[in-house]
Amino acid sequence: MSQPLLDVRNLHTHLHPGNTVVKAVDDVSFSIPRGETFCLVGESGSGKSISALSVIRLLPHGLASHPKGEILFNGQDLLRMPEADLRNIRGSQIAMIFQEPMTSLNPVFTVGEQIVEALQLHHPDMNDAEAEERAILALEQVQLPKVRERFHDYPHQLSGGQRQRVMIAMALACEPELLIADEPTTALDVTVQAEILRLMRKLQDDTGMSTLFITHDFGVVAQMAQQVGVMQRGKLVEVGRTAQVLRNPQHAYTQQLLAAVPENLGKAGSSPHPNSPQQGLGKGEAILQIRDLNVWFPIKKGIFRHTVDHVRAVDGVSLDIPKGQIVALVGESGCGKTTLGRAVLQLEKPTSGSIRLQGQELTGLSARELRPLRPKMQIVFQDPQSSLNPRLLIETTLTEPMQVHGIGSGHEERIELASRVLDDLQLPRDTLWRYPHEFSGGQRQRIGLARALVLNPEFIVCDEITSALDVSVQAEILQLLLKIRAERHLTLLFITHNIGVVEYLSDQTVVMYKGKVVEQGATAQVCGSPQDAYTQKLLAAVPRLMV
Amino acid sequence: MLTYLLRRLLLMLPTLLGITIVVFSVMVMSPGGISAQTLVEGSDMKPQEKQALLDYYNKRYGLDQPPPIQYLRWLNNVSPVGFTQDEEGAYTGFSFSKGMDLGISFMYGRPVGEILGERIPITLLLNVITLPLIYVIAIVLGVKAATDRGGRFDVGSSVSMLALWSAPTMLVGVLLLGFFANVQYVQWFPTAGISSRAAQDMPFLPHWDSLWDVLKVFGCMSLGMVLAVTAVRWARLSVWWLGSLLLCGGVTGIALGMQFAGDGFVRGFLFDRLWHLFLPIVCLSYGGFAALAKLTRTSVLENLHADYARTARAKGLAEEDVLWKHVFRNSLLPLITVSAGLLPSLLAGSLIVENIFSINGMGQLAVEAVKGRDREMVLSITWVSGFLTLVGYLIADFCYTLVDPRVTYD
Amino acid sequence: MTKHVVSRESFSRRIWLKTWQGMGVRFAFAWIAVLVCMGVFAPFLANSMPLLMSKGGVISAPVLAYLTREDVVVLGMFALAVMLVLVPLGVGKRVVLFVLGTALVTIMVNLLLKPPAVMIYDQFRSPTYTEADWRIMPPIPYAPQDYLRDFGQTGLEAPLEAADRIHLMGTEENGADVFSRMIHASRIALSIGLIATGIALVIGIVLGGLMGYFSGVADMLGMRLVEIFESIPTLFLLLTFVAFFGRSLYMMMIIIGITSWPGYARYVRAEFLKLRKQEYVQAAVASGLPLSSILFRHMLPNGVAPLLVGVSFGVASAILAEATLSFLGLGLVDAPSWGQMLNQAVKSSTFNWWMAAFPGGAIFFTVFAYNLIGEAFRDAIDPQLSRKAGVTA
Repeated sequence: MSQPLLDVRNLHTHLHPGNTVVKAVDDVSFSIPRGETFCLVGESGSGKSISALSVIRLLPHGLASHPKGEILFNGQDLLRMPEADLRNIRGSQIAMIFQEPMTSLNPVFTVGEQIVEALQLHHPDMNDAEAEERAILALEQVQLPKVRERFHDYPHQLSGGQRQRVMIAMALACEPELLIADEPTTALDVTVQAEILRLMRKLQDDTGMSTLFITHDFGVVAQMAQQVGVMQRGKLVEVGRTAQVLRNPQHAYTQQLLAAVPENLGKAGSSPHPNSPQQGLGKGEAILQIRDLNVWFPIKKGIFRHTVDHVRAVDGVSLDIPKGQIVALVGESGCGKTTLGRAVLQLEKPTSGSIRLQGQELTGLSARELRPLRPKMQIVFQDPQSSLNPRLLIETTLTEPMQVHGIGSGHEERIELASRVLDDLQLPRDTLWRYPHEFSGGQRQRIGLARALVLNPEFIVCDEITSALDVSVQAEILQLLLKIRAERHLTLLFITHNIGVVEYLSDQTVVMYKGKVVEQGATAQVCGSPQDAYTQKLLAAVPRLMV
Repeated sequence: MLTYLLRRLLLMLPTLLGITIVVFSVMVMSPGGISAQTLVEGSDMKPQEKQALLDYYNKRYGLDQPPPIQYLRWLNNVSPVGFTQDEEGAYTGFSFSKGMDLGISFMYGRPVGEILGERIPITLLLNVITLPLIYVIAIVLGVKAATDRGGRFDVGSSVSMLALWSAPTMLVGVLLLGFFANVQYVQWFPTAGISSRAAQDMPFLPHWDSLWDVLKVFGCMSLGMVLAVTAVRWARLSVWWLGSLLLCGGVTGIALGMQFAGDGFVRGFLFDRLWHLFLPIVCLSYGGFAALAKLTRTSVLENLHADYARTARAKGLAEEDVLWKHVFRNSLLPLITVSAGLLPSLLAGSLIVENIFSINGMGQLAVEAVKGRDREMVLSITWVSGFLTLVGYLIADFCYTLVDPRVTYD
Repeated sequence: MTKHVVSRESFSRRIWLKTWQGMGVRFAFAWIAVLVCMGVFAPFLANSMPLLMSKGGVISAPVLAYLTREDVVVLGMFALAVMLVLVPLGVGKRVVLFVLGTALVTIMVNLLLKPPAVMIYDQFRSPTYTEADWRIMPPIPYAPQDYLRDFGQTGLEAPLEAADRIHLMGTEENGADVFSRMIHASRIALSIGLIATGIALVIGIVLGGLMGYFSGVADMLGMRLVEIFESIPTLFLLLTFVAFFGRSLYMMMIIIGITSWPGYARYVRAEFLKLRKQEYVQAAVASGLPLSSILFRHMLPNGVAPLLVGVSFGVASAILAEATLSFLGLGLVDAPSWGQMLNQAVKSSTFNWWMAAFPGGAIFFTVFAYNLIGEAFRDAIDPQLSRKAGVTA
């Protein structure tokens, strides 16, 4: 085979925040042949994005240095190239797309202007009309609807998926030989992700360019890459053909990562549902009954701000949650699943409808009337950063609710009870005497779980509790959740957008779309043979490990 | 767009009402309050004259009536829409076009509207010159500091901007006045007022009697600028140095040229005005540009690290273009937001500056009116400055929508 | 009970350590400490009477006999503060004890202390006091209101101009020693800064908190009120207040306080709206904690840190406001004040540089110190926040 397009040899990248040195990329070597896709995969902080930015030399000068290594692009060493020459390569021969489509486009210029700028920068002889034509072609290429109108739109007028298409169009406008894609679909919904990935594969076939693809998702790797490199703490621990690495991982870390993917979690060891009651919805005693629930937010307009319309976040939802089961509530962003979860706990006032917890009506109750019911139902939130009060010791966070509800006879006993809950969650007991910032994201989520559990609830809403976590940490939390469910006979409403997690964890699945429930039933049934068109589309879009 | 404007204008009314009510209540609730007695007191008059004046005040302004009635009467007079009165003060009817009557100043004995008409333009002139100056200096310094992050200029300007921001206007004003406009030290600038007595007769632009003098001045200025350019070339300094040295060279050149030129120089009205306003404007502007320069710096820095700036760099744009084409416009947004708050603080600044430099503007008038318990004047100044402030907010919001396409009138 | 090792890395401690790192902040704190000492011990630093004297074998301390009630209260508060810092107690308890102690001291002093009604400073330069066996004079042997009448026609004198007296910073228009007045004025500046800001803070937190927590109609009305107060130039409102309500020190504190609350109210409201959405507050609601705990344990403490930044800038602007009022001739009548001295710098077309440099410098350094602290605080709490640095002057 001829010389590879990109050949990275012994790349070292050091970051210098303050007076310290962080070896963000430590002796990484890989090469990308023409027309192929190479995936760098790893958990957060593994240095995969830094590697990508090093290749295109976009790390800030003062902050980063490359003490060793070379990056050969078409035989030229990018690390030793003067800045002016690098600028000629950037955008024209190596293009890059980023993770956040919301912020990666300049908000004050139209989409068209931004593409034209890139074109005219690398083709100074191109006049405005020509550049505009080329830009429109590029936008058509990424299958943006109504291109000529969109051309004069500002980024904020487009949806996330459309913006990512614009980013791709801008990157491809100058027909680069190498495209670097840094988690381009992470911020997108799974159906949009599927479309973008399909588009990228098609464009690659059409143009014959190479791609360096950064991701944390093995499903995406399986779909996109010919070769894959697994990174851990700045080092490349395993490189190989994709199929080979996924089927037969050699390095312990790769094996561990692959085992933690929800799709594989179920296969390893015993079944996650020990007493798996294969019963349909409606059977068994329902702990929570939701009837015709509406949560609408008014849209106000005009001189006197009168209400002209409503955003129907939750629109006529009826749902039964059977005792002792895990019900997954799944849907894409903005479908109303989080609002529903919060409405159940009366954190959001429902517009109309009824919610009954063990037969007791919750809507319309005052804060005082709700208080005795609060211990029965608890919630765990998504964001590990803001889920704990930064000013309080974990001890206070855990014992204060117990005291309010009269659990435990004295402070000592409450501390003992809290410690036992921490034991259950495999957290050390001295956790109590520390402040939230001393813990990692996964630990904080466990503490959030502990806060819910100290009240001995019967029902917990888990609102995307693993979304912000790495896959291996997610696996630990999910396993812990199953264990605790079995021990405490808990009922869970598990809100998520991750189908893999749903399949692994839940007994029942409810699919929401635009504020309405479109399909519900036993998980195996919903995921195995979906009836609703949207559910089918959603399930088809999930990137699977084994294609 | 129209609904938005209407809504904003309608919202102004309760605010303006509230402002006058607050100030009115302060005056009424104060010990002594506003009564004809306090106004007449101290004046050197015969008892019957005093009594006559007392009656006049009471009838004209209803000072013997309960405060709410007094306020409503005042409001009716000021409002362009309201009840009309006849000579005797009885209400005759309702009119939509009766016009505004701001009343007569207790202190000056002249209509308030007339006095304000004289004073407001002077204060506005000060502020209108100061505002763009603040922005230009702040943006130049702020952008320079941001691009030089962590460097000597950045650290130095950070500290000195905070120091400037903390320096009280009255200290700076007094020092400037004391050192640069005083016979004891150097008298480069006039001590008071906004123009000399002779300025009324001068032509608008400065001019010289002979062409030869003009050439001398021009020659010296060019020489200064050429020297500046050579110095920059020789030392290979940046554009920033070029700009500031050019300015210094030019000004020094002009100053020197004036020395060589003959006596046939007439300052002209414009130059005279600028000469008078120089120190007040320095005084009024430094606090503002210090605060804004700090804001510009953080704003530019934040935008330089934004995702879209990285996208621009990935396109192959040079750092200069990233800064001026992409980052700059986005960095302006917080500056525009702040501009709304700048106007009230400038008005407050004029209060001090006008008193130090004896400028007969609204600020000086305000202090006099308050000291003299001139009810009509205080109320009018209150709502006028409140109105200017609110209009400032409106203009700022409007400018924001011009720069930021994400904001619409809804 | 078993002893638990509680982690030392509490939120406030981390913020404090971060704030303390800068060089500028240390100077700022040092300057304020100097001012506090000057304010507290002013009567012993600059006074016309001897600190201690011995005459015919009798040792007396005239300075103690002539202490005013305020002097004693300030000294008492200082002693109380020092004691409370040394005693290991919680922050809340310390504050409560301090407030109670201050109230007690004030009542006691007003009941028990009977200072001489008239002060004739000239008498301290009469033989009764000068012809002693030995005596210790304060470092600056002139009281702030000692107009040196016994030296004949006195007035503005440049530093060290007079042959027979030493005035390090000259004298003011009535002939009093400027250094002495400067020292006594630091007490006024500091107390006005702190108390006025305290008043503004209380109003701001209560109104802002109500608006933020109970949104809806309360919020709308409150915001209108804030807008009204913000649309009147603060300085003008202050002038009106002072001109119509008189010029006592306490009045001034209250007036500056009630004209500067809108900023805090707006801030607290925004902070509460933000905090209400925080997941730990939602979790507290979901746990059924009572409203008082949610407000005062979970919301307020987390809003306070950023508020302290505002307080630091607020103290600076309150000090500036007092100086400005005095400068415009609407300040305290006879009491020493930096702004009022600055006003005398340019009088009848002569420029008295010492009247500008020393009082003006003191105002500048004090305001600068508070701004430096505020800035360091803000950077320590959240580097992102520095963007929102408004124009508060």
